[in-house]
Amino acid sequence: MNALSFGAPAADADVIVIGAGPAGMSAAIDLAAAGRRVIVLDMQPAPGGQIFRALEANFADPETGALLAALGPAYSAGKALMQAFRATPGIDYRPETTVWDLRADGTVGWLRGGAAGYLRAPQVVLASGAMERPTPFPGWTLPGVMTAGAVQTLIKAGRLRPEGRIVLAGTGPLIFLLAEQLRRLGVKPALIARTDRLRDKIAALAQLRPAALPAVVKGLDWLARLRLAGIPMRTGITELAAKGTERVEAVSMKVSGKTLDLPCDLLVVHDGIVPSVDLAHCAGLALEWRDSEASWRPRTSPDGRAELVPGPSLTAGPCRIRISGDARRIGGAEAAIAHGRHVAAAILGAAASDTAADVRQAMAARGFIDAAFPPGLAKHLPADTTTVCRCEEITAGTLRTQIRAGATEMNQIRGITRCGMGPCQGRNCAVTLARILEAECSAPPVPFHARPPVRPLPLGALAGLTGLDPELAQVVSLEDKPVAAGDDADE
Amino acid sequence: MNSPSDVLIIGGGLHGCAAALFLARAGRRVTVIEKNIAGRHASSVNAGGLRLLMRDVREYPLSLRAMEMWENLADIVGAEAAETCEIRLGVSQIAVAMEAAELQWIHARVQDMQRRGILSEEVVEPRELHRLLPGLAPSALGGLISRRDGHANPANAARAFRLAAEAAGVRIIEGCSLRDLTPQAAGHWRAETDAGPMEAEQVVNCAGAWGAQVAESVGETLPLDVLALSMMVTARVKPLFAPVVIGIDQPLSFKQSAVGSLVIGGGISGKPCLDRNTSFVVMDRMASSAAATVAAFPALARVPVVRTWTGLEGKTPDGISFIGPSSLHPGLWHVFGFCGHGFQLAPAVGEIVAQSIVTGRPDPRLAPFATDRFVRPDHRPMSRSSA
Repeated sequence: MNALSFGAPAADADVIVIGAGPAGMSAAIDLAAAGRRVIVLDMQPAPGGQIFRALEANFADPETGALLAALGPAYSAGKALMQAFRATPGIDYRPETTVWDLRADGTVGWLRGGAAGYLRAPQVVLASGAMERPTPFPGWTLPGVMTAGAVQTLIKAGRLRPEGRIVLAGTGPLIFLLAEQLRRLGVKPALIARTDRLRDKIAALAQLRPAALPAVVKGLDWLARLRLAGIPMRTGITELAAKGTERVEAVSMKVSGKTLDLPCDLLVVHDGIVPSVDLAHCAGLALEWRDSEASWRPRTSPDGRAELVPGPSLTAGPCRIRISGDARRIGGAEAAIAHGRHVAAAILGAAASDTAADVRQAMAARGFIDAAFPPGLAKHLPADTTTVCRCEEITAGTLRTQIRAGATEMNQIRGITRCGMGPCQGRNCAVTLARILEAECSAPPVPFHARPPVRPLPLGALAGLTGLDPELAQVVSLEDKPVAAGDDADE
Repeated sequence: MNSPSDVLIIGGGLHGCAAALFLARAGRRVTVIEKNIAGRHASSVNAGGLRLLMRDVREYPLSLRAMEMWENLADIVGAEAAETCEIRLGVSQIAVAMEAAELQWIHARVQDMQRRGILSEEVVEPRELHRLLPGLAPSALGGLISRRDGHANPANAARAFRLAAEAAGVRIIEGCSLRDLTPQAAGHWRAETDAGPMEAEQVVNCAGAWGAQVAESVGETLPLDVLALSMMVTARVKPLFAPVVIGIDQPLSFKQSAVGSLVIGGGISGKPCLDRNTSFVVMDRMASSAAATVAAFPALARVPVVRTWTGLEGKTPDGISFIGPSSLHPGLWHVFGFCGHGFQLAPAVGEIVAQSIVTGRPDPRLAPFATDRFVRPDHRPMSRSSA
């Protein structure tokens, strides 16, 4: 299986792009248009990322007019990008391909169906997007509690229309966007329960730049339409809890000091999004913990160049990874498209002042949005009885007990409690454990070791791994077989 | 200056804590210094195998004693702590022959062991083998079984010994590196550490992969390679079978943990970074271990690996550890370099080292592990089989 010849393995492309969302597609288009050989690896069956999920299929189907109208201009805006992505020669697009390993030298571990291997390129653009901020609260693991992103997936790719008594809880633009999309689908939520308050908006005005006005106008427009539709909305809610035995039956919260209980069939929560850092962390890239965002983000230069954590690493040489879009800094689709182009310009060595200006323009509203919609559900740490790690069913109390008994490192806590050892590989609990740890130890938390594979990798696929590094693949092992009769040298 | 100890143990892994426990129970004041977190490397990061199977004959007396101790661990660390160790003994370990040469080796091994009067291993005919290991590839030719064997949870076991040692009065200082070690007059030792200077009558070097560095710091060269032994853990699957499966010439080693995940090893090393106390998993190499697993159990091809571990371990040239007094300095013992099979031995090694130190007479069972065996001109260490 191992190659017999030594030497550096050849590059498979000029650039490997991880993720075919807005940032990945726009980077790939500009790179390929400039003659670079680009491989784009993406988990999904079609390009678009989370925001433009299933866009091509929905546009191709004559039955989806109402759906597209409901999803609105924020969704349709992806059409031109998608067409350019499909039309640009030189893009080797590989859908349904999961990346499970990333090395700073530009080596990328991929899995597609039952096959896995490594690919290499002198440049890698990591555009793996964001995830919704995990927000454990009492009852969050009950069936019938979903995130706003998951509901959007069901609408876009499943063409499903949620039914029953729906409560939307949390904060951030996505709550309004989803509420507006549901309204257009003819679904009237029973309540929009917001954690943000008017005073957040007033404080946020200081961050308001003229360039941000279109975004603010869009937000006010959503809000006005929701009010017009008579959808009840409360702000400043706290102590959210989902109640039920087999599934969610009711939701409770505190509003202006009073407890509000109401029956509920579907509780949709959203507390903003945070960069997906698992691949960056696996590659040994520096992350910074952002208190205000209750999450990590990778440390990068404006043109996306990532930094290695000082110290030992698996591979030698300079870091060949740039990070783009929401995986680098949350900014939404427009900002991701602009940043993808900016990264492409930087890789091409082209004058990047225009693309840099576009990124600034697209990010202009961000300061306001972040201040207006601060993390809400994640503002308070989960109570001792609340589950933090749903894969292994570990509560906040179990974690605090171990921290107070002297476990002060995430890996150590994982080893003792199994928090983060389940199939999600810690993606859903790492941020919450970090916040609990920070509150207990008042030091910026260091994430779990992120050793490959950072996504599930079937044994059969690993057994047939292709694209091995001939030098790294030289197996060093114990050769543990004891001597048997006949070759006993001592007697 | 810290108050003087009778014994200073360098390294808070399983061996350090086990030796500390038995020394403390013999009335010694014991301090353990650990540069990292107790049990961070080979102690926690191993397959947790409790086996007599395929044991090197030189380790056999220790391994037999250790097996008795694991079978009665509650008497040593207390019932509650023993419970956390998830000890499963009597489930067997089975070495599987996939090729004719491996089957030949099995027959030679059993004859050799019988000649030595060791009867713990038996040949398993294909029929029984397939009954014991449902899902085993039909091409498997036979096996070697040790029915008394099993496994435990290594991280929890390391922790159980550590807590028992502390309960017995041992002082364990974590995050405390050894900076300098100097023999004093009258056979005492002085150690400069992150926690200040320490004095002790005896020093036990249980520094694992770093053991040779500690020895070198007092002018004693003990040959040791460092490996970053790596393991893979899969998602939880339905119960397959109870025995632990190991390979003979294949990088095969797996068992099902108490929670249902498969823990797959095979003795493969990642990239060690000894000076930085860390190591990296190299998936390019783990492929061979996955291939051996799938060749033996084809139905496992779809089971996903969700985690990998690696930890640093020392390997000596002849495949067994150093256990014994220094040949250079009185009052210094070396106990390290267990070559990936120290987990099962640890309780016995701790007990026997403690007895030897207390009585001042090294136990004869430790003779094959002599620290000077690679430098004595009259002694040729038993060489490894490379056939």
